[in-house]
Amino acid sequence: MSQNSNSQGAFGLDVGTSRIVVARGVEKGHGEKGQGVETGGIRSGANLHDSHDIEYESQLNAFVSIPYSKITEGVLQRERIPHTSTSVASEIIVHGNESEKFAGLLNAEIRRPMSQGVLDPKEPESLRMLREILLSMLGPGQGEGRKDHGKVCFTVPAAPLGAEGSLTYHEATVRQILTEMGYQPTPINEGLAVIYGDLESSNYTGIGISCGGGLCNVCLAYLSVPVLSFSIPKAGDFIDSNAAAVTGERANHIRLTKEDSFHFNGFFADKIQQVLAVYYDDMIRSLVTALNEAFARTKSVPQFHRPIPMVLSGGTALPPGFRDRFEKLLWEQDFPISLSEIRVARNPLHATAKGALVYALSDL
Amino acid sequence: MPKIERRAECIADPVERLRYLRRVTAPERNLLPPGRWRHAAWLTLAAMLVLAPGPRTKSAAGTFERERGLLAAWSYSPTNVAASTLDSATVSRSATPATPSSGGEASTLIPHVWQVERSRTSELYSNGLRVDLTFQISNRPRAEYPIFSLIEGSPAVTGRGWAGQVSKTGSTPVGIVYHTTESLIAPFEEDQNRRLKQLGRNLIDVIRGERAYHYLIDRFGRVFAAVAETDAANHAGKSVWADAQGLYVNLNDSFLGVAFEAQTGAAEAVTPAQIVAAKALTEMLRSRYGIAAGNCVTHAQVSVNPGNMRIASHTDWARDFPFAALGLPDNYAVPLASRYAFGFDYDSTFLRVAGRPWSGLDAADQLIAKRAVAEGVSAARYRAMLRRRYKDISSELAKTGLGASGPGITGLGKTGPSTTAMGKEAVAEEVAK
Repeated sequence: MSQNSNSQGAFGLDVGTSRIVVARGVEKGHGEKGQGVETGGIRSGANLHDSHDIEYESQLNAFVSIPYSKITEGVLQRERIPHTSTSVASEIIVHGNESEKFAGLLNAEIRRPMSQGVLDPKEPESLRMLREILLSMLGPGQGEGRKDHGKVCFTVPAAPLGAEGSLTYHEATVRQILTEMGYQPTPINEGLAVIYGDLESSNYTGIGISCGGGLCNVCLAYLSVPVLSFSIPKAGDFIDSNAAAVTGERANHIRLTKEDSFHFNGFFADKIQQVLAVYYDDMIRSLVTALNEAFARTKSVPQFHRPIPMVLSGGTALPPGFRDRFEKLLWEQDFPISLSEIRVARNPLHATAKGALVYALSDL
Repeated sequence: MPKIERRAECIADPVERLRYLRRVTAPERNLLPPGRWRHAAWLTLAAMLVLAPGPRTKSAAGTFERERGLLAAWSYSPTNVAASTLDSATVSRSATPATPSSGGEASTLIPHVWQVERSRTSELYSNGLRVDLTFQISNRPRAEYPIFSLIEGSPAVTGRGWAGQVSKTGSTPVGIVYHTTESLIAPFEEDQNRRLKQLGRNLIDVIRGERAYHYLIDRFGRVFAAVAETDAANHAGKSVWADAQGLYVNLNDSFLGVAFEAQTGAAEAVTPAQIVAAKALTEMLRSRYGIAAGNCVTHAQVSVNPGNMRIASHTDWARDFPFAALGLPDNYAVPLASRYAFGFDYDSTFLRVAGRPWSGLDAADQLIAKRAVAEGVSAARYRAMLRRRYKDISSELAKTGLGASGPGITGLGKTGPSTTAMGKEAVAEEVAK
């Protein structure tokens, strides 16, 4: 890449059910945020690997509503907590990371704009909240009418395996929101983004799996060309909701427990850990079965001349032992493609956003 | 592929590496596995050999009968008006459109189609056409393009400079070039729904990335807007066409690109739904821009290879384009502008793909022969003059930035062969000159 090829802003945006992550280029040594940042700072692979030149920001893709009062609104403003006041509706909506704290304080479930990887049709505030969260993270663009407005590459899920659900509405809506904010949006398949984010060493050949909140997204690419992609609707939320139903806990509490202390070691101190292990196992088995089924029935899978890597990313892939458990179940089912390695992404929570950023930069 | 991989591995910057890979794999971004690229090429070659015509008898009477029919067939065309300026003495014009060969109702009249409603994601037109705008993308704005007069000879021969050859300029689309995507095609069967949709979806991404066409018609007959009509799309590359206004060279700015999700030589041709959609889209575009029926042509008809001065550098729709079903006359019969105005030739590769010479080639040859006699030079000498003119124009266009930046889009799966090899005959002719 030419050092001065990018005077525009470029962003990678991982729009997940649970979290939204923005990756932006930061000029090395300046520490400034990436709108208009020179991608010269991302000119070498070493720098990109170090992540020193990419800045990430993550927000919960969630919100909670609290009763409206001028005092509350004043406090939120003073503390700079992202929120939206609707005095007409007599409520204040706190969104992003802070929503979790408020939900804990109020003993309420957080609400989410998205469900199972796409905008939740049952959530009336989904569009408005997604827009607010994106605006709080990206800030307004430089305007649609200008040629130099920022390029945002945002992730979209693949179609669920065996289902014909349309993802067009979700993609078009996110695109519209970003366009209205003054950006130039481009979609990228979530699994492909994982490959672009973590498999440059294999020339972007391999299998990328993003285990997120709503979906597990899988993509096989050969020399950066997506060959096969699909998703399964079992992921973090599936584990949380089922474990919550069994234990009687709130799903949010289950999620926090899962993220803080769960690990695969076969010995579980309490019931929540045990239940989590059961549903984690169910999710991994479903993913492995889907992988086998998809690769076995797709005629277009290339004959690779050497084993290819498989990389796991996403918050659901974080617990210690996840990779080993996944690998064990995968080999049990005689996976049809020869793999050189199965590994967790260098930065599982940011790999997708990073891949989207790399794609955006390569498009400039 | 190993060569590509080795080159990519030399690029340290991951962004630059991805950019390189995206560039070199652009035509294959259609799920076609690497093991099948070679396979598909062999299949295509085999298909072409099977379809190649045997030797034809060329009796004088037969030739005469054929040419008479061809002249009658194309004489109504608006393009014929341009051709007639070359040789008004020998070509008669008819006010009556020719009867299409089969099906459909061909008309040179421009249909009236209006927009019924528009949202951010779609447009509905009075003829039932629905255009999906979800994936529309911008490219560089359409440039003002020159329209060259139908004079012959180079500036040196005519005594006029290159600028003197430009009769006028244009800024709106005057025609449509039809393409095939040459992408991977799944069997058009109910149990293939998911794959068909996925292939179409991936294709859209590729087309958007390449800024390849203005419209894509997928196999279900859905019409997707790709590059905005206000912008030029990278679809025609080095190309030539002519109408009553004059000659158009490199058509990215002057013509709109419409692509069928289809593969040359595939067992399944375009689907009935695609035909219906293409007809409605053609009507809408003709109505919007006043496009003449004779300017609705295929990529093979307009594509040229300046390197060897051959026509049909890209061979999509070199045969069997359903003109009649789209309500268009048989434009294969229109004298080929690249041949009669610039002396381009054709070779055996073209014949294998097209099956037989288009009738428009014979008509163009007639024009050249007559004009050469009028000029008092041999046909070969006259063609050389025409070729020199093309080279003058082409080099001047390159200076102004209107030279086609790329070779045009043959299709995204690249199964259609290009007529790049210069035949022995042609080489001998060039040497003799």
